[in-house]
Amino acid sequence: MNIKEIAKKAGVSVATVSRVLNHPESVAPETKERILNVIEESEYTPNWFARGLNFNKTDTIGLLIPNILNPSYMEIAKGVEDVAHQKNYTTLLCNAENAVEKERKYVDSLQKRRVDGIVLVSSMLENEDVEGIKKQGIPVVLIGENKGDIKDVPIVRIDCEGAAYKAVRHLIDIGYKDIAIIYGTTPERENKRKIEGYIQALAEEGISEREEYIQEAANTIEGGYIAAKRLIDLKRRPRAIFTSSDLLAFGAIDAMKDHEIKVPEEVAFVGFDNIRMSNLIDPKLTTVEKPMHKMGVVGARLLFDIMDTKDEENNSREILLQSKLKIRKSCGHRERIGEIF
Amino acid sequence: MKTDFLGLKMKNPIIVSAGPWNRDGKSIRKGIAAGAGAVITETIVSDALLDVRPRIAYNGQGAQNIRLYSDIQVEGWQREMDIAKSKEGIVIASVSAHTPSELAYLAMKMEKFGADAIELGISSPMGESLEVVASDAERVYEMTKEVVRNVKIPVIAKLSQNATNISKVAKAVKSAGGSGVSAINTIRCILGVDIDTMEPTLSTYGGYSGAPIRPLGLASVASIAQAVDIPICGIGGIENYKNVLEYIMLGASAVEIGTAVMINGFERITAITNDLEQWAEEKGVKEVKAIRGAALKHLKSFEEIKIEPVVSHIDTPFCNAACEACVKACVYGAIQKQEHKMILDSEKCTGCGLCTFVCPDKKFMLDW
Amino acid sequence: MTLAIDFMGLKLKNPIIVAAGPWSRNGEMLNKAILAGAGAVVTETIVNEVNIDVRPRVAYHNGGVQNIRLYSDILLEEWEREIDIAKSHDGIVIASICAQTSSEISYIAGKMEKVGVDAIELGLASPMGEGLEVMAASAEKIYEMTRKVVNSVDIPVMVKLSQNVTNMSKVACAVEKAGGSAISAIDTVRCILGVDIKGRKPYLATYGGYSGPPIKPLGLASVATIAQSTKLPVCGIGGIETYENVLEYLMLGASAIQMGTALMLNGFEHIEAVKGDLEAWMLENGIEDLSEIRGAALSEIKSFDEIQVEPKVSHLSDICQRNDCEKCVKGCVYEAISKAGCSVIVNEDKCRGCGLCCDVCPDRILELIWP
Repeated sequence: MNIKEIAKKAGVSVATVSRVLNHPESVAPETKERILNVIEESEYTPNWFARGLNFNKTDTIGLLIPNILNPSYMEIAKGVEDVAHQKNYTTLLCNAENAVEKERKYVDSLQKRRVDGIVLVSSMLENEDVEGIKKQGIPVVLIGENKGDIKDVPIVRIDCEGAAYKAVRHLIDIGYKDIAIIYGTTPERENKRKIEGYIQALAEEGISEREEYIQEAANTIEGGYIAAKRLIDLKRRPRAIFTSSDLLAFGAIDAMKDHEIKVPEEVAFVGFDNIRMSNLIDPKLTTVEKPMHKMGVVGARLLFDIMDTKDEENNSREILLQSKLKIRKSCGHRERIGEIF
Repeated sequence: MKTDFLGLKMKNPIIVSAGPWNRDGKSIRKGIAAGAGAVITETIVSDALLDVRPRIAYNGQGAQNIRLYSDIQVEGWQREMDIAKSKEGIVIASVSAHTPSELAYLAMKMEKFGADAIELGISSPMGESLEVVASDAERVYEMTKEVVRNVKIPVIAKLSQNATNISKVAKAVKSAGGSGVSAINTIRCILGVDIDTMEPTLSTYGGYSGAPIRPLGLASVASIAQAVDIPICGIGGIENYKNVLEYIMLGASAVEIGTAVMINGFERITAITNDLEQWAEEKGVKEVKAIRGAALKHLKSFEEIKIEPVVSHIDTPFCNAACEACVKACVYGAIQKQEHKMILDSEKCTGCGLCTFVCPDKKFMLDW
Repeated sequence: MTLAIDFMGLKLKNPIIVAAGPWSRNGEMLNKAILAGAGAVVTETIVNEVNIDVRPRVAYHNGGVQNIRLYSDILLEEWEREIDIAKSHDGIVIASICAQTSSEISYIAGKMEKVGVDAIELGLASPMGEGLEVMAASAEKIYEMTRKVVNSVDIPVMVKLSQNVTNMSKVACAVEKAGGSAISAIDTVRCILGVDIKGRKPYLATYGGYSGPPIKPLGLASVATIAQSTKLPVCGIGGIETYENVLEYLMLGASAIQMGTALMLNGFEHIEAVKGDLEAWMLENGIEDLSEIRGAALSEIKSFDEIQVEPKVSHLSDICQRNDCEKCVKGCVYEAISKAGCSVIVNEDKCRGCGLCCDVCPDRILELIWP
C-alpha cells in the first residue's frame, strides 16, 4: 500500500498523510489517530529513502534587503520571518546596501550555506545571477520590482505607478498646481514608475511638468533634506511635494522647518510607504500605504509553495497587492471624501 | 435648546419630517402646536397619485411604507400653506421631481406660497427602481443647482443610505450651493413575509423607518459631518430625547422625527422637546452648537484606535438573576455561571465587550 | 420529507449555514457547529495578513449588534490544521476569504482549496476599515475578482454582497457573468449603533457592521432583488433568528440561509431548535422538499403600476378587550379611529386604508376590507 492509498482509505489528502509522518504536531489529533490506525492496519512502511532527502535540508532561508536603515524593509523582513518561523525555519538576513556586488557576495554565501530558498527584496541582480541560483536547486522569490529583467520567478509587488498617480491626483484635487516630486535613486525601477504616475496625473490636468520640480536624491532622510533645499531655493517654489518614500518626506519636512516654512500651509506633503513613524511626526504624514508586512508574508508563502510542492506553475506566479492613500494632515486636506475610515 | 439651522432661528432642533402626518395645513399646525421647531410638508409632486391600500406595515420595531407622495395638487397647497402659516411657526416644503426644471418649478411655487425653506425629497426608495436620484452625485448637483438658482429661501437635499458613498453626494449638494442636507430617507426594504399566505407584508419594495434604522442614520450623519462642512439634519429612528442628542453629538444641527409621530401621535413631539429642555437645563447647554459633533473626535480609523489589553471584569461575582445571556453570548467561552456565582476566565477573554452590552444589569466592565 | 438541499452542487443536510464570524474562528468552533447540526459552516474570513483585535469590538442594543472585528487572526499556514479539525466529523466547510486584488484573492482561494474546503465565499463586502466604498459596491471589481478566483479553483465560489451599494442588481449580475456559483447577501451594514450621551462618545471607536433582526427587512429586499435579477442560487443572510425568518428568505428566493448574530447571542444549540421548528412546519403544511416553496412570494412583489388600488378601509373584526390601550387611536394619522373604553369606532369616511392600525393593535382585531 502506498501513501496515496493510505490517504484515500483515511479520507484525507496525501499532504495530510505526509504531514503526519513529518510534522505530526501540525495535524489535528483525531485525524492523526485515524491516519496512524490506517497505517498500522496496512503495515505501510514510509519510503525512508524519499524521506531521507529531507536530511539535505538546512531549514534555513536567506532574505536580502537593500537597506537595513530603511524601516520599510524591516517590515518586509518581519513578514517573511513570521511565515518562516511558523514553518520552523530560520531566516538569515543580509543587508545589500543597494550595491549589486555586495548582493552577489551574499547570494554566494547563502548558496554555500545551502539555504533552502532565497527571498530578494527590490533586488539589483540580473537574470543570469538568478538563473545561477535556481540551477543550484534553490528557489527564489522576488518582493518588489527588481532592477534587471528577471524571468520565471514568482513576484509580489504593488502598482507603483497607479499609487503615485493617486497620491498626486489627491494633491491636485485639494487645489495644488505647483507640485514637485523628490524621488530616491533606489530602488530604481519602482521610483521610475512613481515618476510616470506623477507625470500622468499632472498631464491629465494639463499641467506641464517642470524639470526643476523633479528632484533626485539618495533614498534617505538626509537625501530628502538636500533635495528639499534645492526646491526651497527655486524662484517659483512648489506648493506641494510628493516623495517616493516616507524617509525622503521626513528629511524634506525637516528642511522646511529649518527654513520656517509651514507644513502644510505653505508646502504640502504626500509620502510613500506608510512606515510607522509617519503617523507620529508633526504634522502627521499623508502617505501611500505600501503593504510592506503583507508583501513579506506573501513573498515567504510563495517561496514555501515552491519548496513544499516543487510545482512548476508556482514559478511564474505574480501577486499584485493593493496600496491605499492614507490621508492625514501633511497634505492640507479639509474634506475626506471616500476615505471615512 | 435653540439652534440656527440654514439661517432659520429655531427654538429647538426638532423638526417634524415629511410624511402623511403633515399632509395638509391643519395637520402641520398640530405639529407646530405640539412644540416642534419646524415642520416639513408631505412631499409635493407635479402629479398627485392615488394611494395604494394597505401601504404601511409595522412589526413592533420598524415600519415599512409604500406611500408615494402628497395627494394634494400644488395649487391646493396655496390654501394649505395659508392655514399652516396662519400663526407662528417655520414650515419647510418637501418637493420631488425627476428633472431639474420640474423640481425648480415646484420649489418656486412653494416659495411663493410662503415656505421658509425647501427640502428636496429626491431619495424616496418607492417606485424609483434601484437607483434613487440621491445616489448619483452628479444628478444631485444638477437638481440642487437649478433649485438654488430659482429660489431665495434655503434649500436642503434629503439623502439616502441606498448610495455607495453618501459623503460624495453631500459634497455635491454643497458645491451646488445647497444650504444643508438631511439624512437619511427611508431605506429600500421588504418588512417581512407572511409564511402562511406566502405573500410579502406589503405588495412592493418600500421604505424602512423607525428605531432599527437609527444606527444607519447615525453612521450616515457622522460620515457626512467628518467629510464635508455643511449643516446636517439628522433623520432615522428618533424616538426620544436621547436619540436627538446622539444625532447632534455626531454632527447634526437639527433632527427630523416621523415614524415616532406616526405611531404615537404629536404628543410624542411635546414629550421629546420637554425632555430635551430639561436635559439642556441640567447640563447648562443653551444652544445645539455647544454640543454639536462632540462625539466625532472619538470616531477613529482603525490605525488610530489604541489597542489596549482590556478584559471583562465584574465587581461582585454574584448574580441572582435567572439569566444566562452573558454565558450564551460569550463566543470565547470565558464566562461561566455556577449556582449564582460568576466565573470569568481572563485567559480566555479577548475583550470583545459583548457581555457589557447583553447583561440586563450592566454588571460587566472592560478593564486592564 | 427532507430538509436536505442541493446548494452549488453541495448536498447540505439542511439549509442552515453558519455564517463567517468569530464563532467560526477555528477548527474546534467549526466542528462544534457541524456537530450542532448545521448544514454547512463558513470559516471566519481568512486574509493574508492577520491583525490584532480592537477592544471592545462588539456592541449590542435593541436587538441589533455592531461589530468592528476585522478578520481571522489565524495565519493562512495554520488554517490547514484548523480545517482538518473542522472536518474531523465530516460536514461541509466553506472558506470565507478576503483580499484587495484579484491575484491576491485567487492565491488564497487556491490555498484553501488545497487544504480541503468544499467551497469558497468571497468576503468583499465587510464595511470595516474599507472606507465608505466597499469592494462589493463596484460591479467591475466584483467581476474581476470573481472571474480570477473561478478560473483558479475547481470548487464552487460564492460571493457575499453588501447592502451598502447603489445598485445591488448590477453587482449580482456581475457575479453571474463572472461564473460565480452563488451569491450570499447581505453582509453587515455600515453603522454606528449608538452614542453614550454621558460620555459623549460612540459605543465603539469606529464605524462598524450592523447585524441582527433590525437588518432583516434590508436583507429580504436584497435577496428578492437578486433573485429577480439573476438565476444564481442565493444564500440569504441578515437577522435570521427563527424558522419563520428562514422561510421568509426561502420564499423570497433563497436556496439556503446563513445565521451569525443569533448564534453569537444564543450559542450553537440554537441551530437544533430552528431545525426542529422547520421540520414541524413542513410536516404540518405537507411540504416534502424545501424547493417547493422557494421563491413562492416573489410573484407577489409588484411594481406600483401593477398594484390594484382598492378602496379598502379598516374594520373591527372582534370585540376590543383592552380598556387602556390607545395604540390604534394614536397610530391613525388620519384621525379615523376613536375609542371610549373598549368601544372602538372606525370612521370609514376618514379612513384612507393605510393599514397601520392593523399592525399596531396588540390583538390584531383590525383588518382592511372592502366597505
